[in-house]
Amino acid sequence: MPCRVLRAMIRFENVTKVYDQKARPALDSINLEIDRGEFAFLVGASGSGKSTFLRLVLKEDRATSGAVYVAGQNVARISSWRVPRLRRGIGVVFQDFRLLPQKNVFANVAFAMQVIGKSRSVIRDTVPEVLKTVGLEGKEHRMPHELSGGEQQRVAIARAVVNRPGILLADEPTGNLDPTTSMGIMGVLDKINQNGTTVVMATHDDDIVNEMRKRVVELKNGVVIRDEARALYTSMIPVVGQSRRLKDASGRETPDGGLPGTGAEGEVQR
Amino acid sequence: MRLAFILSEIGSGLRRNLSMVVSVILVTFVSLTFVGAAGMLQMQINQMKGYWYDKVQVAIFLCSDGSTAPSCASGPVTPEQQQGLNALLESPSVAQYINDFQFESRDEAYKHFKDQFSNSPIVDSVTPDQLPASFRINMKDPQKYQIISETFSSQPGVETVIDQRQLLERLFSVMNGASLVAVGIAGVMIVCAILLIATTIRLSAFSRRRETGIMRLVGASKTVIQLPFILEGVIAAVIGAALASGTLWAVAQFFLGDYMSRQYPDTAFISSGQTLILAPALLILGGSLAGISSLLTLRRYLRV
Ligand SMILES: Nc1ncnc2c1ncn2[C@@H]1O[C@H](COP(=O)(O)OP(=O)(O)O)[C@@H](O)[C@H]1O
Ligand SMILES: [Mg+2]
Repeated sequence: MPCRVLRAMIRFENVTKVYDQKARPALDSINLEIDRGEFAFLVGASGSGKSTFLRLVLKEDRATSGAVYVAGQNVARISSWRVPRLRRGIGVVFQDFRLLPQKNVFANVAFAMQVIGKSRSVIRDTVPEVLKTVGLEGKEHRMPHELSGGEQQRVAIARAVVNRPGILLADEPTGNLDPTTSMGIMGVLDKINQNGTTVVMATHDDDIVNEMRKRVVELKNGVVIRDEARALYTSMIPVVGQSRRLKDASGRETPDGGLPGTGAEGEVQR
Repeated sequence: MRLAFILSEIGSGLRRNLSMVVSVILVTFVSLTFVGAAGMLQMQINQMKGYWYDKVQVAIFLCSDGSTAPSCASGPVTPEQQQGLNALLESPSVAQYINDFQFESRDEAYKHFKDQFSNSPIVDSVTPDQLPASFRINMKDPQKYQIISETFSSQPGVETVIDQRQLLERLFSVMNGASLVAVGIAGVMIVCAILLIATTIRLSAFSRRRETGIMRLVGASKTVIQLPFILEGVIAAVIGAALASGTLWAVAQFFLGDYMSRQYPDTAFISSGQTLILAPALLILGGSLAGISSLLTLRRYLRV
């Protein structure tokens, strides 16, 4: 058991999130573990709770009940002045890129290092390296409006990983891109995952999911209805209500309501 | 690095919000000028009170070489006359009305005069022998001034008996009233300044919400996110306070120093140097008002 706790980079224990008392919960008693170094898709229709899941990992919102562990640490127990440290260990990319329009590619990526006090020389060395990883060599001085959507998303990914976070959360990163460009972005995310970063990607792009053959966690109305390793966007197994046993990445059955994380509380670093 | 970053953020914030920043500067300038004006009026009152005002109520001036009063026709006061007056002050008939009295010699009078009129051109043309010696009396009941006046006016060696308070009290009450008005206007203006700073910071935070959102996501600390906004308000307010201090200095230097002291040479005015005492107070007041109102605004309008 302790071994599993240590392996889990993200762990949800009976997590429920209610935004509005009158509506159904956005997430309803979620139990889920994502291991260090894993690549997991979070799929499901719009409104199924994918973004809410990612927001809880970031401590952007508080779980109504249950516990969220990131690198063995219960995020509810992280005091507000230490939340920045949690977020330094997590990179995030969005559908809408969120670049700073008046800064060029280099400056957009460097911004993430400047604001946490990295020295000029470290920035000068690291940024070109990361831009190379995402395939933007030689485009340091372009402005965001001079880039295609795919290139803009690569800048956003570079910014998200430039501080070497242990986790990369991607909320529909290909939502605004055509299929070919999307596959290019997936290549970048896969490469980052190969380098040891845990990647969780929310999407409803079935082609991508089918192509990648990674773990798929399917949400519906805030409930996990499927959790399959090396899976497709739509299940091959017929779903019978919610009584079906869920499987984790290694194919083992995941018991409901596991023990709280008692493992070492580590930094979110890869 | 982080400092350079914060400074450049402040610079871009000030540029982007220029018209709002200018209005913050002007409003704090006007409000702190009124605060400072109230302070200057109080300083001026103190200046005019001179050495004796708060200590005694009645002065008995003795005849000197330059006295022209008929009672001084026989020349300056003699030591015998002076001792007689001293004895009279200590006699039971007079002592029952007074708490105590002090003798001010000509040299002491000259010293006090120099202190009070240090800012006036008149100080250079006065010598000790032009100033009379005097007895300064602290009354048990200031209303009993008439008794002292009647007893001493006719004594040999006495030039005149003056109730100093009566001369200045009405003027001081006018000046105190003006101070209160200035403080009242300052209060209203300070409320304006606080609201305007809050609005400016809110707009600034709104126009830079994309940057701050990214800063939050990549784990920038609360200080790095908030400090540029707070300093933006504080810098604007401090500039306003500096302008207010400069204005007060200019009023003392040119209006009081050059114009008023020529119009009223027998009145002691504060010097422009004295108004600089107000400057640090105004700077701190302006800066802290801006800092506190920015901080409270950010707590509501900037997620960190
Ligand atoms: N800030 C919010 N306030 C109220 N309801 C919200 C908020 N964010 C999301 N919801 C609701 O929670 C549910 C899940 O939303 P979300 O997590 O954004 O789903 P997805 O990302 O899968 O489209 C939806 O019903 C949505 O309306
Ligand atoms: Mg969403």
